[in-house]
Amino acid sequence: MGNLTKAEPSILHNLAIHAPENTPQWSNVRGKNLKALNSTAFPHRKIEEWRFTDLKPIERTEFVPLSEAGVLPATDIEKYFIPESDRSRLVFINGRFQEKYSSIGGLGKGVTVGNLNANASHETVSSYFDKLVNYEEDVFTMFNGVMFEDGAFIHLEKGAKAEAPIQVLNLYTDASKPFVATPRMLVVAEEESDVTIIEDHIGLSENRYLTIPVCEVKTKKGAHIHHVRIQRDSINALHVSRPIAYVEKNAEYHSYTITLGAKLSRNEPRVVQEDEEVNFTLDGLVLIDGEQIADTHSVMDHRFSHANSHQLHKVVVNGSAHSIFNGKIFVRRDAQKIDSFQENRNLLLSIDGLVNTKPQLEIFADDVLCSHGATIGQLDPEEVFYLQSRGMTEEKAKEVLTYAFALETIENVKVESVHKLLIEEVYRYTKANSVEKVTA
Amino acid sequence: MRHTNKSFLKQKLNQKETIVLELKNLHAEVEGEGIEILKGVNLKVNKGEIHAIMGPNGSGKSTLAKVVAGHPEYEVTGGDIIYNGESILEMDPDERAHAGVFLAFQYPVEVPGVTNTTLLRESYNTIAASRGREELDPLEFDDYIREKLDLVEMNPDFLERSVNAGFSGGEKKRNEIFQMAVLQPTLSLLDETDSGLDIDALRVVSDGINKLHGEEDAIVLITHYQRLLNYIIPDFVHVMIGGKIVKSGGKELAFELEEKGYDWLESLAKVNGEAK
Ligand SMILES: Nc1ncnc2c1ncn2[C@@H]1O[C@H](COP(=O)(O)OP(=O)(O)OP(=O)(O)O)[C@@H](O)[C@H]1O
Ligand SMILES: [Mg+2]
Repeated sequence: MGNLTKAEPSILHNLAIHAPENTPQWSNVRGKNLKALNSTAFPHRKIEEWRFTDLKPIERTEFVPLSEAGVLPATDIEKYFIPESDRSRLVFINGRFQEKYSSIGGLGKGVTVGNLNANASHETVSSYFDKLVNYEEDVFTMFNGVMFEDGAFIHLEKGAKAEAPIQVLNLYTDASKPFVATPRMLVVAEEESDVTIIEDHIGLSENRYLTIPVCEVKTKKGAHIHHVRIQRDSINALHVSRPIAYVEKNAEYHSYTITLGAKLSRNEPRVVQEDEEVNFTLDGLVLIDGEQIADTHSVMDHRFSHANSHQLHKVVVNGSAHSIFNGKIFVRRDAQKIDSFQENRNLLLSIDGLVNTKPQLEIFADDVLCSHGATIGQLDPEEVFYLQSRGMTEEKAKEVLTYAFALETIENVKVESVHKLLIEEVYRYTKANSVEKVTA
Repeated sequence: MRHTNKSFLKQKLNQKETIVLELKNLHAEVEGEGIEILKGVNLKVNKGEIHAIMGPNGSGKSTLAKVVAGHPEYEVTGGDIIYNGESILEMDPDERAHAGVFLAFQYPVEVPGVTNTTLLRESYNTIAASRGREELDPLEFDDYIREKLDLVEMNPDFLERSVNAGFSGGEKKRNEIFQMAVLQPTLSLLDETDSGLDIDALRVVSDGINKLHGEEDAIVLITHYQRLLNYIIPDFVHVMIGGKIVKSGGKELAFELEEKGYDWLESLAKVNGEAK
């Protein structure tokens, strides 16, 4: 799109010379991505897709390679473990696999839970790794493809049902200089298999780092995947994520993304329908405050008939935080009988908060049912008064209403400890943000 | 004062202790817009009494109820609201609720995401704490609340539903009285609770209100229909027109209104209005 080669090399281009060595198994992947990276320019706000999101915090940070960043070790890791995953956990610190904290092989025969480096020769890895990722002219995925140290690999054989959720825990530690992490994930669920994945990103301190997680998911015939993604990065972190999922016949992919942390986050979840009769969800909850910027650009790509898709994206903005939502729904020409729901609801608690929202429907078939809507509102003064007339203080009433607004999106998270954790996070947010005065 | 004999004074003093609500020449307008809606309301409500307020659409009945409950949309520009002997003009709506004021809304608000139980437990315990009643633990509260459900014959399923969300018109009204039953107010302002209730529901809800009413509390009910007053028998009936109470009487006034409408009182409203 004309932004090739003309721009100056960015910090990411410059860092790419520090790609990990001694990993011959990935040399093809790295080579391909390096070539692409070197002919792709860093995006800027003149490009429509980046109109509202200023990437200067990335461009202007002097990131150094991980080995020169002076990273501190992680402590108290266990407190982030979810008990349900005691036999199925992968831990990464700054993108590097931590075998001693991980728990693999506990889910029995048909389920592989491991790291990519150890599974590089797995047939599934050779067939799919870096082949599913599909983001146009995107320096971030390319950079990840050059720099990744390792990654999570989850594979379910035909008919295998993971009897416990799999936790993929990404921790980022304090460091004296800002660094870039490039976590990676490949999930392949063969026919009729079933798995729940909890992907967690946690900043252990308040330092600046950039993480660029790339996640590829393949949901084969009749398989079911539930994918919970929690972003609790450091308040100064930058987070650019690319999770993409493919859904085959009769398969279901349901993802729930909870965005709490990071100074700047750009999340681009995509779901691609690969056959008829599929069902997918791309829900999101964003709770931001202060100077945070949270940007979600999603794609739901309906390519065949008979799909049911659902996207509820809820956002609460306080302080001078800024939320951006662009939700693309494609319905291709022959994709009939599509039932697609998209709703973006924004609750603006402060005068200085900002919301940009743009549902974007591109429908080329005629027999489809697509409902979509976007609302931006404040707390309803009538609701506040109603609760006050029942004895709640104004502050409490606003807290309760904010909490209620946010809670709806996490109700479908069925892993008990995660559900509880998310409720606590929502509660903490509403408490901490006991809310500037609502102007009627 | 014309009467100065002792017995009259004594009566006056006693009465003072029993006054729950006294509105003194109350004026109120829409906050920031200068639209005056209440134009000098006077009303005295004693313990144990039931007052009915009737009047044409738009005459200010709901506004009156909301102003007493402390709605921030309205500004009191003159007069006073005395509740249990003290002005409550400076009190927030929640403080008024704590003191025992309850408003059953003409249009109950839907609060998606907050269940009835959550709301009621929160309300009951804050109000109990400030009125010196004992707080109830979840089990005790459960028993307590079930007893109140029975009183208005409400299905327990409603407890776990979001407050009023998707409730039918009648269900919302019943839910308001259920809340009244749980919170045990001293002053209940019931704004058109009868509108939207079917014939059986009207009887059930009225019975409930009658059971809740006693010597220590007072009820002000706003209604358009004399029928409600067959179930809940008022001590006084007031007619509100153009932001004022233009006529007061006993329950027979309601029959007269039913028969004659409000036309014959409109002129009274004007005369009174000009006389001031
Ligand atoms: N916030 C407001 N802004 C402008 N006008 C208002 C506002 N609130 C009330 N009013 C006006 O004040 C008048 C009284 O309204 P109110 O709701 O008190 O009437 P009511 O007597 O309860 O009528 P009804 O019998 O129809 O319920 C109406 O003309 C109404 O439009
Ligand atoms: Mg009214």
